[in-house]
Amino acid sequence: MDEIKPTIKAFILKEFLPGEDPDELNEATPLITGGILDSIATLKLVAFIEERYRCTIQAHEVDTTNLNTISDIANLIRSKV
Amino acid sequence: MDKQNNKERISTLFVIGLQLALLMLIFRQFQIESSAFLRVALLAFGGFVIHAVLPMRFRLPFFLILSLAGIALVFGVRNGGWLVGLGAILVGVCHLPLPFHVRVTLLVLAAALLALLRVDWIHAPWSQAIWPILGSMFMFRLIVYMYDLRHDKTPFSLWRVLSYFFMLPNVCFPLFPVVDYKTFALNHFDQDPRKIYQIGVDWMFRGVFQLILYRFVYQYLTMAPTEVVSPGGLTRFLVSNFLLYLRVSGQFHLIVGMLHLFGFRLPETHHLYYLASSFTDFWRRINIYWKDFMMKVFYYPTYFRLRKLGNTQALIISTLIVFTLTWFFHAYQWFWLRGAFLLTIPDTVFWAVLAVLVLINALYETKYGRERKLGKHSWNLRSFGGRALSTVGTFAVICALWSLWTSESLSAWASLWTSSVRNVGVIDAKLFSTLLVAAVALGGSGLPGVSRTSGGKKSPAQAGSRFRNFPVFTLAGLLFLSLAGIPEVYSKFGHSAASVIYSLRSGSLSRVDNATLERGYYEDLIRVDRFNSQLWQVYMNKPVNWLDVQGTGLERFTGDFQQKELVPSFSSQTSYARISTNRWGMRDKEYEKQCPADGLRIAMLGASTVMGWGVENDQTFEAILESRLNRDLAGQPFGRYEVLNFGVPGYRPPQQLGALDKSLAFKPDVVFYVATSREASQSVLHLVDAVRHGVEVPYDYLRSAIAKAGVERKTEETIAIRNLEAHRDEILLWLYRRIVEQCRSQGVTPVWVFMPMVLANPWEDAPESLFQTAKESGFIVLNLIDVFKGRDISRLRLADWDTHPNAEAHRLLADRLFEALAERREQIFSPHLAKLKSKEPLEHISNQSKLNSRRTDHGRN
Repeated sequence: MDEIKPTIKAFILKEFLPGEDPDELNEATPLITGGILDSIATLKLVAFIEERYRCTIQAHEVDTTNLNTISDIANLIRSKV
Repeated sequence: MDKQNNKERISTLFVIGLQLALLMLIFRQFQIESSAFLRVALLAFGGFVIHAVLPMRFRLPFFLILSLAGIALVFGVRNGGWLVGLGAILVGVCHLPLPFHVRVTLLVLAAALLALLRVDWIHAPWSQAIWPILGSMFMFRLIVYMYDLRHDKTPFSLWRVLSYFFMLPNVCFPLFPVVDYKTFALNHFDQDPRKIYQIGVDWMFRGVFQLILYRFVYQYLTMAPTEVVSPGGLTRFLVSNFLLYLRVSGQFHLIVGMLHLFGFRLPETHHLYYLASSFTDFWRRINIYWKDFMMKVFYYPTYFRLRKLGNTQALIISTLIVFTLTWFFHAYQWFWLRGAFLLTIPDTVFWAVLAVLVLINALYETKYGRERKLGKHSWNLRSFGGRALSTVGTFAVICALWSLWTSESLSAWASLWTSSVRNVGVIDAKLFSTLLVAAVALGGSGLPGVSRTSGGKKSPAQAGSRFRNFPVFTLAGLLFLSLAGIPEVYSKFGHSAASVIYSLRSGSLSRVDNATLERGYYEDLIRVDRFNSQLWQVYMNKPVNWLDVQGTGLERFTGDFQQKELVPSFSSQTSYARISTNRWGMRDKEYEKQCPADGLRIAMLGASTVMGWGVENDQTFEAILESRLNRDLAGQPFGRYEVLNFGVPGYRPPQQLGALDKSLAFKPDVVFYVATSREASQSVLHLVDAVRHGVEVPYDYLRSAIAKAGVERKTEETIAIRNLEAHRDEILLWLYRRIVEQCRSQGVTPVWVFMPMVLANPWEDAPESLFQTAKESGFIVLNLIDVFKGRDISRLRLADWDTHPNAEAHRLLADRLFEALAERREQIFSPHLAKLKSKEPLEHISNQSKLNSRRTDHGRN
């Protein structure tokens, strides 16, 4: 369970923020409202989560409440696995 | 510690209150939006003071009470009650103890019933004015609400739900952002209130700033498509057309800023959209709430259902569905605002092209990604150059697309480009660069401290919080604008700057929109099919059958150059006035063909104002003038005065030639040709109509002018107008000279009377050259341009959407015309004194006129 946040962080850094300083991305950094996760990136992230944690995310769960920060994402995953 | 907190809280509220006071001053000085908005802003700002000190549990109910009070303030208790009642029924349907799909079906049926009421198939017992607001409150928010009701587990709160639908600023903004219910519910006071309040003030300042910039663009930069004749003109047309969107973003900032004052920490609605560097970027930055609504309710659900087809296929289909629905929803929105669907070819092409561009862009980003930054951008020449090029390129393409969206037809849009290409080489580089710089600045980048960084790192709550402890930038900006709006201050900026600021202080229609409004009277068309014109808002409350002359049966089609005439011996009681015509087809009492021997006969030529559009038979200025002449001047020198009304609604100058022929059969002594401001352009429009409808033009000169301009039956309308406009002054001069010559040849005195529409500044639309042309042609000129000067024009016109004079204005026109006539009595009456046996001294007219003027002035005082 504890590995969720580092895993998500690593995925975001690798896929969407290559070359960026990892220290700049913390678990409270706004991802959707901050412009890092647009619709395409969000769908990529969802596909990654579903595959990595073998869970299903519903369309209505794709919003800022569940995916705006690494912390929110981790909470969503925890509620599913 | 508590003391310290209280002190901080009070000082913060004081600073917020100070900024709100300055904002209120600016709203008033610059007449921001409407008088309804001023009242609502006053209510909101006053309500904020109470709201901010209330215990948390009372705040939502208080906001709802304020919202309902706002509705009553704008619409009155009766119509406001209807609005709230209808809304409450819709909300009630959402919560009926029935399966979800049954409730959705009931809502669709309710919407269908409301649609029938909207188009007046079923008469509604409430004012037309509530439709746009009722529509904006429910047309999209019900969809969002039902979606969240199905998926969200947030406990129900009646206060919150009613606040969501009836939220305060909505009552004076028919174009209202689609607010997400979940965000509305979850973000309420979820952070330090002081921070939320300051963001609200910052955004309202940003909104008011954009609205003032919009006015500058609207008044000084916009052009009619027919005026585009060079690449410089085309550039100005394209850019200014796109910049008009500032009004929408300005309004959204005001709305969302105001909601922040009540703790609703909603996200940004627009983000530097003129600086988008790709089409997907543009879609993400402009009208963010719309994008979020489409993504949440349609895009993600579609994508998730189609994922099994493969990600690329799912993305393509979902994107196309989103754009198809966006296209449809714009027409749907237009229906609730105006009562008619708006589905045109340019509209369809616009959304199709934008969909393809965004889709290609999205597929590219899916494959290659896009640059995102966590910290500050470290620009170098290459990256800056690349970004600048893609920004300018995106801006240029969107400008071109936007002009397509707002065009009347594809051929009209194409003609913009062909007419410009013909004059290539006269590109106004200075204008182009100025507009480009302005476009970049207007996106918000020129407002440090109130805009997010282009990297978009800050959360909405952080936006604008750089000076949260003391909002230096916002306060300074508010102070500057409030000072600049004071006449005693801006008059010191020099004549040019003062004139510009003066014009920015009111939301009057632009030169182009006034022309469109006037054209609507003549052609029975309402070409206000887009939000790029301020006119749609004026027309929004216009009743469906407003002064429907054709519907009364008053006119009949002649099939020739005249096109129409009034039906003789007609009488009908319309919903606005009784309209009767005599046996000769004049809206007037009966006259013999011959004038009495001791009488003076005046034939009055003109259009709808002369005919008396919207007033009773005896309230037209022509009828009043005749009564007054006979009351005040009977036997002095003429035994009787007759004024024959040859006015026909929609008659333009070329049609007055036929009207003159008709009038001369009644042996008038004097002909009054009543002119309005756009005589030359109106002449062009009539000729273009005639040619395009295959009507024979019975005058050699006009036929040769049409041929010289290369206008034929199949010529596209915009091109035909543009080509003939180049000859409009010569055409008008010829028309006037012909009228004068015909009058003189029959011993008739030709008098040209300038009669303004009821506008605040009619002289802006009446060029000196028009008066010069009338004088050169040999008319005696009577200028009534100042007849409404210094008066409240809203009390003198028929309605906001109809600048024809009402009964009171007709009375003023009659008085002013009587005075003008008296001043030129010798010139006008003397040639006809010979037919009188007894000759009374003409001075009496002048003395009587002065006496009556004094009486009138006394009455006014």
